[in-house]
Amino acid sequence: MAAGAVVAGVIGIGGTAAAQPQLPPVSPEDLVASVMTAQPGPFNGTVGIDNELGLPALPGAPQLGNGEQSARVWSGGDGRGRVALPSGDGEKTLVSDGTTRWAYDATDRTATRSTGGAPEQKDPQTDPAGASAQIIGELRKTSQVAVDGTAEVAGRPAYTLVLTPQPTERTMLREVRVAVDAEKRIPLQLTVLATGSATPALQIGFDDVTFGPQDPSLFTFTPPPGTTVKDAPARGQDGPQRQGPPEGTRTVGDGWDRVLVLQRPAQQQGDQQQGDQQRPEGAPDLNALGTPVSGPWGNGRAITTAVGTAIVTDDGRVAVGAVPEPVVAEALGTR
Amino acid sequence: MSVTEEALQTRTDPSSGTGSEPAARLRDLRKTYGSVTAVDGVDLDLPAGAVVGLLGPNGSGKTTLIRMLLGLTPPTAGRVELLGHDGTQLERALPDVGALVEGPGFHPFLSGRDNLLRAAACEPRLDGDLRVPVDAALERVGLTDAARRRYRGYSLGMKQRLGLAAALLVPRRLVVLDEPTNGLDPAGTRDVRRVIAELHEAGTTVLLSSHLLAEVEAVCTHVAVLAKGSLLVSGELATLLASDGELALTVDDADRGLAALRAAGFQAYRRDDALAVTEVDPPAVVAALVHAGVGVWEVSRRRAHLEELFARLTEEDA
Amino acid sequence: MTAVLERTHASLGRVVGAEIRWVLRRPRTLVVLGLLALIPVAVAIGIAVAGRGGRGLIAQVAGNGFVLPVAALGLALTLLLPLAVASAAADAVAGEAGSGTLRGLLVAPVGRARFVVMKAAGVITVAVLAVAIIAVVGMIAGALVVGGPGSLITLSGTTLGVGEALGRIALVAAWTVGQLLAVGAVALAISTFTEHPLVVLACVLGGLIVFGVLGAIPALDWLQPLLLTSGFGAGTDVLRDPLPLDGLASSTLRALVYVVLGVGVTSWRMARRDG
Repeated sequence: MAAGAVVAGVIGIGGTAAAQPQLPPVSPEDLVASVMTAQPGPFNGTVGIDNELGLPALPGAPQLGNGEQSARVWSGGDGRGRVALPSGDGEKTLVSDGTTRWAYDATDRTATRSTGGAPEQKDPQTDPAGASAQIIGELRKTSQVAVDGTAEVAGRPAYTLVLTPQPTERTMLREVRVAVDAEKRIPLQLTVLATGSATPALQIGFDDVTFGPQDPSLFTFTPPPGTTVKDAPARGQDGPQRQGPPEGTRTVGDGWDRVLVLQRPAQQQGDQQQGDQQRPEGAPDLNALGTPVSGPWGNGRAITTAVGTAIVTDDGRVAVGAVPEPVVAEALGTR
Repeated sequence: MSVTEEALQTRTDPSSGTGSEPAARLRDLRKTYGSVTAVDGVDLDLPAGAVVGLLGPNGSGKTTLIRMLLGLTPPTAGRVELLGHDGTQLERALPDVGALVEGPGFHPFLSGRDNLLRAAACEPRLDGDLRVPVDAALERVGLTDAARRRYRGYSLGMKQRLGLAAALLVPRRLVVLDEPTNGLDPAGTRDVRRVIAELHEAGTTVLLSSHLLAEVEAVCTHVAVLAKGSLLVSGELATLLASDGELALTVDDADRGLAALRAAGFQAYRRDDALAVTEVDPPAVVAALVHAGVGVWEVSRRRAHLEELFARLTEEDA
Repeated sequence: MTAVLERTHASLGRVVGAEIRWVLRRPRTLVVLGLLALIPVAVAIGIAVAGRGGRGLIAQVAGNGFVLPVAALGLALTLLLPLAVASAAADAVAGEAGSGTLRGLLVAPVGRARFVVMKAAGVITVAVLAVAIIAVVGMIAGALVVGGPGSLITLSGTTLGVGEALGRIALVAAWTVGQLLAVGAVALAISTFTEHPLVVLACVLGGLIVFGVLGAIPALDWLQPLLLTSGFGAGTDVLRDPLPLDGLASSTLRALVYVVLGVGVTSWRMARRDG
């Protein structure tokens, strides 16, 4: 569920960049730096996700399939936040008052409380600004970073930061565009473009956003009558949004070429119900998907999408990266 | 048919009846449904105050003609003028027109009275308490006792009476009755005739469509005969019926007989080997022939042209 | 004695009043309204007997009585409410033509434009009554059979007081009427082309099914904004907190477009239709 919040917070349907507002020029470094230190204050908005990743539809995780979704987001700007993920006849609500996190699922009327994890100033769970800032910081190492003009997103003027892989990178991604609010310096929109396609593989961003004081009652949660209240197991220090990596996880390569190799979690099925529904790659049952592949590393099945490849080996390893299949296979072969 | 027809039409005076503006005027009225011509170029006036019988076998276009007259269906060609209004203004005449077309149409789940109340609510000429005119109309057609029963349970005759009552909710200038005695028993037929007579007395123009000459003869002042969409004849009933007597004679010498009759001042002419004489006084005709020494084999009085025409139409229909 | 006036049309108020009386005395209308009242009752009894469980919004009703009218309206909007309104629209023109009463109205004359107004009033009456009956019976059944905390638990896990709960129910009721008027306007337009009320019902039923199928095909998702049914789920939004108005507004706007089209075609056709 926590992972879901990250995706919901970061991902969204993009307001398309129609007009090109006139803004004073800014260097990529200054722009990224200003994002890192941005203090946008309280805001609320609607975040849309337009997913054309080409992931196969998985029974346990229908949200991952191609399509559009939206989430409503409120941020107190100080670690407090609320995310509402509406579905047809239900809703998942995530509320953080800065110390206690509540996840309420209307479908089965359960509320899960978690108090673990240090309250961060900028909580990526409820604040899209944090997550995108992290992404920018990491990618600068292996990317060409440029400010490519301006755009209007969710009715606000924004700079467009473009991250292009260095020519030596073997990634399937063509570029990543981040629209940064000219005034508040928070990312308004993230667009992932894959090689060979003009339409974004993934676009996450605000459909609308309003900065200003938020009703404090939004950031408190009292389980309504008839609710089953559960306490989530305490989390490690890796951050509240991600479970600690399973044993045997390692990365091969760096930058755009990074491939994650891990052992498939044994408790996969149970996990699926809880929190992995929003995880872009990994946990759902992959046995029946993909095409058989084999190599020096063994046999397995490769699943190729618009933006990356995963190989699930018969001996239970999984390798994932935003790279073509040979690079993933090569990573499996490295010890 | 041709002789009869010509003879009749020469005698049909379009402006017969009263001299005032006609209640309705149809000019070259035509209606086609696809390739089927329902009404084919009809010219007809309904003289104000007249009771016009629209005669014709089933399928002759009577109902289509009436529907065009009332603006229920637009003519394919031609012009309708109703109480001085025509074209798009036709609807302005309708408040003063009562109609019973294509049988009575009412809602089965409402009583006769409630059906009439609903109809009365839509009548522009009514105001105030609608129960007054409704009850009066029910009384007039003899439905007072059955007024509160559901229309569903009405006999065919009662349904016809209710339809008539709806046409009579308001004092009208023109009442159009399409086959009003369908399904009525003799008493009902008598009631309809009484109502028509009352309307006539009050100066209302009535258009009565029927396939029964007897019915038309009983109440109408004027008649129009329709067959296969065309108007065969129209005019005052009395003229059409009375002037149409003809004497047919079979004589031993037709040429001498014709000469003798013309010499005696009769309107006579040859018809095949026989002679025909109009406006006859039979004994005088026979006497004239006998005087001239012409042998008379057979004398017969022919039926009036209208009757003959209509009998032929209805026989074809049957 | 009744005055004889030089008017060309009866007053619109009297004509509309007569139409609404006629609609409400039609046995079919009463049967349909009665059946609709059973929907919340049936849901309430089902919840009371089976307890919590089931899927969708119905599951939300347990222990949360104020959800019952919203859930019942949502349930009925998928099929029964549109058919109820379509049935009223079918009787309004096709039914009158079939029973031979249409020509009586036209010869009166009602006036062809006024005829559309009068018939629209009848359809609106049925739509409003149908929704009101489900909402009111739903609230009563929710309070008596389901019970609850005397407040509305939203899907977002917040609790709304009675006043706001009633406001939310009123909002979803008004919104539902809006969606139904779209169905009614289209049904009325179809109704002007036939003399058989069942044709209208069949068309509306078929349309709902086709729209449902089209809406479920991912490749045709560009069609979604055009489909009336794709907005039918927005009523659930009144159970969210804070109240999101986007879905309700956009589906209402879409319904309005359907209303304009339906009334336009109805008026165009009635100006020409044979009586």
